[in-house]
Amino acid sequence: MILATHLGKRYGAKVAVDDLSFEVRPGMVTGFLGPNGAGKSTTMRLMLDLDRGAGETLFDGRRFDTLRQPLREIGAVLEARAVHPTRTARNHLRMLAAGSGIPASRVDEVLEFVGIADVARRKPKGFSLGMAQRLGLAQALLGDPGTLILDEPANGLDPHGIHWLRDVLRALAAEGRTVFVSSHLLSEMSLMADELVVVGRGRMIYQGKVEGFVSEFTRSTVLVRSPQASALADALRALDGVSVEPAGDDALRVAGADAVTIGDVAFDNGVRLHELATTTASLEAAFMTATGDAEEYVAVPRG
Amino acid sequence: MADALRFEWVRLRTLRSTCWLIGSALVLNVAIALLVASLDDSPSLEVVAAAVTGGGANAPVPMAVVLLAVVGVFASGHEYRYGTIQPTLTTVPQRARLFTAKVLVVGATALVVTAVSVLLNVAVTVPFWADTPSLTDATVIGYVLLAVLWAVLGVAFGQLLRGVPGALVVLLVTPMIVEQLIFRLSYVPALDWLHPVVRFLPFTAGLQLVSAAGEASGGLASEVGLFTRWPSAGVFAVFVAAVLAAAVTLFRRRDA
Repeated sequence: MILATHLGKRYGAKVAVDDLSFEVRPGMVTGFLGPNGAGKSTTMRLMLDLDRGAGETLFDGRRFDTLRQPLREIGAVLEARAVHPTRTARNHLRMLAAGSGIPASRVDEVLEFVGIADVARRKPKGFSLGMAQRLGLAQALLGDPGTLILDEPANGLDPHGIHWLRDVLRALAAEGRTVFVSSHLLSEMSLMADELVVVGRGRMIYQGKVEGFVSEFTRSTVLVRSPQASALADALRALDGVSVEPAGDDALRVAGADAVTIGDVAFDNGVRLHELATTTASLEAAFMTATGDAEEYVAVPRG
Repeated sequence: MADALRFEWVRLRTLRSTCWLIGSALVLNVAIALLVASLDDSPSLEVVAAAVTGGGANAPVPMAVVLLAVVGVFASGHEYRYGTIQPTLTTVPQRARLFTAKVLVVGATALVVTAVSVLLNVAVTVPFWADTPSLTDATVIGYVLLAVLWAVLGVAFGQLLRGVPGALVVLLVTPMIVEQLIFRLSYVPALDWLHPVVRFLPFTAGLQLVSAAGEASGGLASEVGLFTRWPSAGVFAVFVAAVLAAAVTLFRRRDA
């Protein structure tokens, strides 16, 4: 269980993280979603005491810098390429193991597990981003920690790798671990995460279930095709909260009214309809709506 | 602390540059000792010291010692150059403890390497010289101490400047250019008020540690009024301590 309260960070006049509070529960994968520059990495750095800022993060009730051998409790990878280019993958992990009272034999285990055992003795400067990500995951798993914090772990993985990562993270969460994973791609997150923490411009936009996010930020629109489109548009505009936009010669895109209402209005006004179709915005559209202009939205309590 | 020390030890051991730098230091010193010993069969005290301590106090930057300082710079500077500070601090989050471990491991390495180097240097003089140079001479002890201080200073500058290039520039430019310039300028009659300053130039003072017969600063040590060996060592040590304190304070305060 991770409990972050009132995290904040500013660089001069620019606020990077603005009073973020959230909790990450064990037993599920929590996605940390936001566009590039939303403050995800800074938030993770604050959580891990890498950056100095406001607020506090407790891992099962304890601050990160009070943990004696943190690698055994929290596996964190913020940057896949944070390795010395000429220190072999195996030596890199051995170094971290040595600082955490982890036996060196565990290094070969995790390298095997993430599938890069055959390059264990090679220098990471020749690694592809995908290999570097796998090394990062090996690093996170080195101490068999109960909590994982990963910044953009799917970045650079091929589709096969992304599925593998999802399976691994889901399996780890199913063992009762706390898994907190960031991404700027909702499609990636919707595959992996059960819960979402969504931020934009350093502020909380949403926290809760993935489905809740979609329904909250997805607006359904109705496409209407009619030879008397302009008459119908006038009739619809008379209704409260309905917006109508022309969509081609004899078509309208209507938001704020469902197909039933529109059909009734058309009937009452004697307008002939050729098409009446509801379109639901995609996950990506929901994400764009939620984060497009983050300042329009305020934090939504967990529900 | 034990975990942090083990971490640092493996970090140092698994870098190829560590081997190259230490190997070069040993080989260069032996080469100098061999050269001096083979060319001079009735050496003065000063020449003996130069052979045993890799050139002694003649150069503004002692050669093998500066290589150990680079090992020190890498200990902290590499963390920023390659971003490994993140995995390092998520392994050892207590920053003062981590920094102390770096200083201790690098300092101990410099101590051992310099002691071995002195033994090697003495060994190669044996075929040429009738008298085996004394290992307990103040110059030899001063040399080992100088190497440890330079190496530790490297760690401090690498941390303070958070990178390799800046730290190297400071470590080389200060003794070779800045202090030399102030030293030379103090000879200009109009600038003779610089004389009292010269004795407090940290790197110049540090070199007094390996001065066997006052040859530091080109044989002008007494003329310009440098402190003698141990007070000079104190000046350099205070400087190193100040840089260490600044480094650890900022390390704790700043974003990693």
